[in-house]
Amino acid sequence: MSLVADRVEPSTKMDVPESESQADERNRSLIKISNFDFFYGDKQALFDINMDIAEREVTAFIGPSGCGKSTLLRCINRMNDLIDIARIGRGNVQVNGVDVYDERVDATELRKRVGMVFQKSNPFPKSIYENVVYGLRIQGINRKSVLDDTVERCLKGAALWEEVSDRLDTSGLSLSGGQQQRLCIARALAVEPDILLMDEPCSALDPVATAKVEELINNLKNRYTIVIVTHNMQQAARVSDKTAFFYLGNLIEMNATVQIFMSPEKEQTEAYISGRFG
Amino acid sequence: MSDREPEDRYDLSSRRKSFLGLTKESALKGLFGGNAFVSIVVLGLITFFLFKEGFGFFGQYREDLTIYRKSGLEYVELMREEQNALSALNRYLNSIRTLQSEQLTESGLEFSDVKAVLRKDEDFFYDFEDLAFPLREHILEASEVVATARDSYEEMLDLQEHRQNLINAGRQSEANSFEITEIDLGQMFELVKSKEGDFNAINRHLEEEIPALLERAPIYDDPDLNSRMNRFKELATLFLSEIPVYEERIVLWNREDAISIGESFTSFIFGKKWVTNSSIQNWYGIVPLFSGSLLVAMIAMFFAVPFGVGAAVYVNQVARPLEQNLIKPFIEFISAIPSVVIGFFGIAVFGTLIRNMSGWDSMEWVNFFPLSERLTGFTAGCLLALMAIPTIFTLAEDALNNVPIAFKEASMALGSTKLQTIIRIIVPTALSGIISAVLLGFGRVIGETMVVLLCAGNRIEIPQFTEGIGVFFEPVHTMTGIIAQELGEVVNGSLHYRALFVVGLTLFLISLLINYFAQKIVLKFQISRG
Repeated sequence: MSLVADRVEPSTKMDVPESESQADERNRSLIKISNFDFFYGDKQALFDINMDIAEREVTAFIGPSGCGKSTLLRCINRMNDLIDIARIGRGNVQVNGVDVYDERVDATELRKRVGMVFQKSNPFPKSIYENVVYGLRIQGINRKSVLDDTVERCLKGAALWEEVSDRLDTSGLSLSGGQQQRLCIARALAVEPDILLMDEPCSALDPVATAKVEELINNLKNRYTIVIVTHNMQQAARVSDKTAFFYLGNLIEMNATVQIFMSPEKEQTEAYISGRFG
Repeated sequence: MSDREPEDRYDLSSRRKSFLGLTKESALKGLFGGNAFVSIVVLGLITFFLFKEGFGFFGQYREDLTIYRKSGLEYVELMREEQNALSALNRYLNSIRTLQSEQLTESGLEFSDVKAVLRKDEDFFYDFEDLAFPLREHILEASEVVATARDSYEEMLDLQEHRQNLINAGRQSEANSFEITEIDLGQMFELVKSKEGDFNAINRHLEEEIPALLERAPIYDDPDLNSRMNRFKELATLFLSEIPVYEERIVLWNREDAISIGESFTSFIFGKKWVTNSSIQNWYGIVPLFSGSLLVAMIAMFFAVPFGVGAAVYVNQVARPLEQNLIKPFIEFISAIPSVVIGFFGIAVFGTLIRNMSGWDSMEWVNFFPLSERLTGFTAGCLLALMAIPTIFTLAEDALNNVPIAFKEASMALGSTKLQTIIRIIVPTALSGIISAVLLGFGRVIGETMVVLLCAGNRIEIPQFTEGIGVFFEPVHTMTGIIAQELGEVVNGSLHYRALFVVGLTLFLISLLINYFAQKIVLKFQISRG
């Protein structure tokens, strides 16, 4: 990995985000999940989830492996549709007041509003430029000026412009792991979503690259609603405003991040956070 | 180290049972290694003998061509070209006459009346036909002389070889009892060459008679017949203007010109004739066979690529698990059908079906329909497509399967539809794998023997590419077919036998190249994925 490209830029916002109470008043709920049950075949993966995710905040999902946090994340943009045996039971997921599992909802339209970044960076085997504009091209937008503007805006938004602006036509796969992940974020930003779902975006990155992505998340939350799944509790503490703790398909506790980490209400939450299990 | 007592140390010596110093592992290792070694040696030997038998061909073919030239057969063939041109003119004239007689019959005339009309200008036709006689006689005579010379010369060579063998075997007395008449090809050829004056005289005669005869050409009422007759006059004039060219060629031809090994090589590679068992001269040119193989393979790939790749994309990306479990084994099952059965189906059902369909009224718009042949390149190509589909399908499906699911997820998460994901991400990512699948399918097709032997029509001619699409509906012969057909009948070690080996060698090289490129492409694919 190129150390020059990923040179350390110490974050100034590594501590707990400011003014939680203020944020609560300011932000209305954008994603509303009510009494939601979800199954893989006969196996129930989520039990009666109720949750409100506020606009322009970072919400972190934490919990041990297999607790359903990624499953819930993928329900928000219906990525679980790709799995044949997945089906929903009771309840619904509303994004901006619309039930996403309503039969009139076109999943592709939903996904244009709800972007996603995956655990393992997965740029397409195309040039950096084509990676970013892919979302526009599939919508039939091919105007060179629009595409050029989008590439610059999104790469700047993903803090990658400086590093790659002189080699936009090289393969996205030639970038380092951290750069690839930021490219994936830029690609997600290009379709101008309101919500960004991040499924363990830093789990395959080294600490330097992780710091960069976290800094980026902090900058993005002014404009986007971000939901992030993470195994790294320090990361949840650093980047999120709210934290939800899952265990065995149940939402155990959801609260302001400070609250969760300082004085959790449930015993299980405390046990997990203090590292006694999970 | 040695400060411990021996009995304190771990006992790490082997506890495996051994038989004659061999443990089970080393025996197995020997077995597998031996198998690999034997296969490599066998393959090496096959390749070696293929090359050995094959390369002997070029020297032998050179000798054959040298005799062809020295004996004067080549000289006679040059003259025969003029005769062929004249015969072609005659055939054209006859076709006019046939047409005229057909027209008269159609107009409702009695047979005797038709004959009467035709008789009016029969002198013209008979006289023109008679013009060709002297030339034909001359060439026939010359041809007989040189062919006999060549045959007895080859017989002499055989006898000489036989005597040499006897001498080598130490049977001197037996060898001495042989009477071998020395044949001097040069002397024999002089007999022909000395009559070159006759040939020129015949030409003068032609130059004199043809224009005079054309003056007497009948004039018809029917415009079609008339335009044909005018065309004939043009062709005849053209023939006249070419007579000096034929004569010049004969003058320029030199019996003493040596034939190089390169010439025997090029006359194989670029030779347009594959003629065997000819009384005049055998020709071993691979072009008709190669173009036939290529034509059939092209037809096969035209059908197999869309079907094979399309089925692979469908099964891998679109089909439900139930459909996958149904389609995959079914397509793979096709490759289990013996090719002779497919060929049999082609002869019994498919070829007839195509010919019958080409006769339908709804098919009239196709200008080369209806077909007269049942077994054509098209018939064989379609059946070969059936055989290539499983290969292409299986390999392309593997390539598609190797596309990381993450690409699909990323594309879907950006709001693209399933179809957009397939076209823009999945297929391009798997493209090199798909291309190599297609190449290997091509290799399968070009190497397939039974189907082409049974269904391609086996006419050794270069397909008429000027016919447009119609070229695909001509009977052709292929490189694989000719080997299967002729190798059983040739004399071991003869020129023909070796020629077939070189055809096999050519096939071998083509397959080698295809496999090489297919592997290169797959390799590139793996690297690009990182």
